[in-house]
Amino acid sequence: MAKQSPLEKGANGTAVWVDDRLGSSSFIKRSLNKVFPDHWSFMLGEIALYSFIVLLLSGTYLSLFFEGSSREVIYDGSYAPLKGIPMSAAYSSTLDISFDVRGGLFMRQIHHWAALLFMAAIVVHLARVFFTGAFRKPRELNWIIGVGLLVLGILEGFAGYSLPDDLLSGTGLRIAYSIALSIPVIGTWAAFLVFGGEFPGGAIIERLYPIHILLVPGIILALITFHMMLIWYQKHTQFAGPGRTETNVVGSRLYPAYAAKAGGFFFLVFAVMALLGGLFQINPIWLYGPYDPTQVTAGSQPDWYVGFLDGSTRLMPNWEIRTLGHTFSPNVLLPTQVLPGVLFGLMAVYPFIEQKLTGDKGYHNLLERPRDNPVRTGLGAMSITFYMVLLLAGGNDIIATIFHLSLNEITYALRAGLFILPPLAYIVTKRLCLSLQRADDDLLHHGIETGTIRRLPSGEFVEETVPLPPHYSVLLTAVDTPERRELASHLPQVEHQAAPHQPKGFFKPRGSVVEAPVPRPELESEPSVD
Amino acid sequence: MTDSIRDRLKAPAGHGEQSGGGDTAQSSLTTNDFVQTDSRSSHGPEQTVPAAVPAVVPADVHPRDPKAVQRAERLVAALFLLAVVGVVGFVVSFILVPFDFGDEGFEYYTPALGFFMALALTGVGAGAVVWAKTLMVDNEVIAERHDLASDPQERAETAALIKQGYEETGLPRRSMLRNSMLLGAGALALLPLPFLKDLGKTKNLTEQMAKTGWRPGSKLLDELGRPVKLGDLEIGSVRSVFPDVPGGRRMADSAALMIRMQPELLKSPESRKDWAVDGHIVYSVICTHLGCPVKLYEQQTHHLFCPCHQSIFDATNSAKVLFGPAARNLPQLAIAVDEEGYFVAQGDFNEPVGPSYWERDDSYPDKVGT
Repeated sequence: MAKQSPLEKGANGTAVWVDDRLGSSSFIKRSLNKVFPDHWSFMLGEIALYSFIVLLLSGTYLSLFFEGSSREVIYDGSYAPLKGIPMSAAYSSTLDISFDVRGGLFMRQIHHWAALLFMAAIVVHLARVFFTGAFRKPRELNWIIGVGLLVLGILEGFAGYSLPDDLLSGTGLRIAYSIALSIPVIGTWAAFLVFGGEFPGGAIIERLYPIHILLVPGIILALITFHMMLIWYQKHTQFAGPGRTETNVVGSRLYPAYAAKAGGFFFLVFAVMALLGGLFQINPIWLYGPYDPTQVTAGSQPDWYVGFLDGSTRLMPNWEIRTLGHTFSPNVLLPTQVLPGVLFGLMAVYPFIEQKLTGDKGYHNLLERPRDNPVRTGLGAMSITFYMVLLLAGGNDIIATIFHLSLNEITYALRAGLFILPPLAYIVTKRLCLSLQRADDDLLHHGIETGTIRRLPSGEFVEETVPLPPHYSVLLTAVDTPERRELASHLPQVEHQAAPHQPKGFFKPRGSVVEAPVPRPELESEPSVD
Repeated sequence: MTDSIRDRLKAPAGHGEQSGGGDTAQSSLTTNDFVQTDSRSSHGPEQTVPAAVPAVVPADVHPRDPKAVQRAERLVAALFLLAVVGVVGFVVSFILVPFDFGDEGFEYYTPALGFFMALALTGVGAGAVVWAKTLMVDNEVIAERHDLASDPQERAETAALIKQGYEETGLPRRSMLRNSMLLGAGALALLPLPFLKDLGKTKNLTEQMAKTGWRPGSKLLDELGRPVKLGDLEIGSVRSVFPDVPGGRRMADSAALMIRMQPELLKSPESRKDWAVDGHIVYSVICTHLGCPVKLYEQQTHHLFCPCHQSIFDATNSAKVLFGPAARNLPQLAIAVDEEGYFVAQGDFNEPVGPSYWERDDSYPDKVGT
């Protein structure tokens, strides 16, 4: 028996000690052998997770110095231009973090950048999951959790940038208060109870602080945990490929290579945020000054993930109903509360809508390529277009300034665009998907063109083609949709060059191992599949 | 084919194999590689995931070219050492780069920290990734998925168990017990409601919303607390004004803007004829949309512009809405001039300032159409 090194001995001893008490070996064995399919797009969710870890780390450090209080103090820190000015303790302590705590500004900027990146990663990850159909049965629950995380992320971000009590954040809070006012019947009460009284109320910073550092992050952490447990338990989806079926998962074992890659990736994501936090200024609150309810700056903008709601508010016509001694404000209620409610609600139940419409109640562990499901991809493009119009509208004043355009005309154009562009995007995207499918089918039916021209005895010239290598055809034929089948029926059937893999049934397990070796065609360059 | 270390480390040309990098479309897997072996078969009789995890690719993906191995190892080691450089740089910058505001070079403090921290993190991160991608065994393996749904018998048994327990509680038969329990639990759910009471100062809520700091005879103070006199403003200029009451400068609902323009430009309705003095007119700056201060005054057009959601008000015409999501004109403050020539308020604003709210009664005698 080989001699054990002290390290091995120690590890062994610890493992035995733990296993004696928890019986953890079988769990650890299974976990280390867990198979993860690999694809670059699966990293997007990881980026969100890692950003959240960075948020927790940097946020904990900031909380050691930040004072979440609206108590008035006279500033007496290092930043000369604001010396002697009355301000809230929240703003003053944020200035202290920026100018009197070594590395404090760096931490603040990392925290803010990480928040922006967190939201961006969530949105892109969500798009990936949507367009590949990863939300389908059995993963609807995890989709809903994801939508919950998106909404909580927006709230958490808003709470965060409201805390420093600078001019910009105070303006945002006043808008939030006014939005609460617009709720019918209970709006005024709700606004008073949340803010502590008529605006500014004197309590909102004090209340947002524990919400921002304890309540919401706690819920987010719990949901992320649950999100990951479900991924773990249900196993990750995978793209079609040789040997990849609905009933298996093909990829790398967690330990060691996959874990090393994922762990390394955390540090790389962290590095990007460190670089952003160090080199790119963000939210320089000392330039905005302390909040003063009577002041505002031109070009006030929220963080990007709230921008679409700012845009919807700007586009909304000024409808207001005044009757029977009451005022009802659809001009505020619709774009700020009804719209996000409907959007996120639809998003959350989308898996069930799709199930209802397609009648498809089966399990789906193989991902679709966006083109494989033109209707869904069209709907996604439609939603993104709708969102982008709103986001643009959120910067209508800035667009007007930069491009010397009339603000009113931009607003009218965007109002029209909000209703015209999304359906257009749907139609164009769907047609694009169908064309791409047609191109795929072309490849499947005719094989790859080699550029070699052969002259037949009859004098006819034909181009030589070779069948697709199996991993292409498997990918191309993995999905069999009604549209696809219909399309395929119109394609000329090439007798002498049958497709190496005829499209099989809807997500039927295909042979995991191709029987005969198919030689790889010698080509100068491989045809791109996408 | 790209000429990365990874490629050179891998099997000789012609022998396709799955690169762990992942994108199926890019992989060069051929059927030759579907060899049903388990790279971990040497791990002893207790197979980890025995039949379920056959290797898709040949077990031997260990680097072959010893020179390439050495290069890869050196690269990984260099990256890990880069982390040490980063940390040293970080600590040195932390201590030595000027930090105090205004000191020469203090603006390099945060960038230096960011740079060196990123360097350290990149070293560790890239080191691990390169190591995993070049030197570690990363076979593609197949694991079978387990059925998520329980088998029907298990389901039936569970359902029966729940049903049995429910019957054992006696709830299905004892309706009084059930109803009283529901009532009790429902009442308990309402218990926290009174705790909401003191979250906000809601006493006289409607009155709070309707009133501001302006009183009859309040002087109009400027930003610095000086009373504004007739003649202080040039034609075409504006001034922020605040009520002459303690804390008036910071009141969120009382801020107003005095504008002076040619008196003949003002198109005030009959009821507001004597609210302005010699072309001086005062509006609330709290936007009737979402409460941002409307303080951007365009001298040529006499438009007041809200920077938050771009509502535009006509200062010559009772601050009516010209454009944007705001639904109501800005409330106007009736002003007069006292014997000493100072501006004073005739009273409060003619209507509640700021955004609309449910209790807002719109029957104000002097209101103008929108």
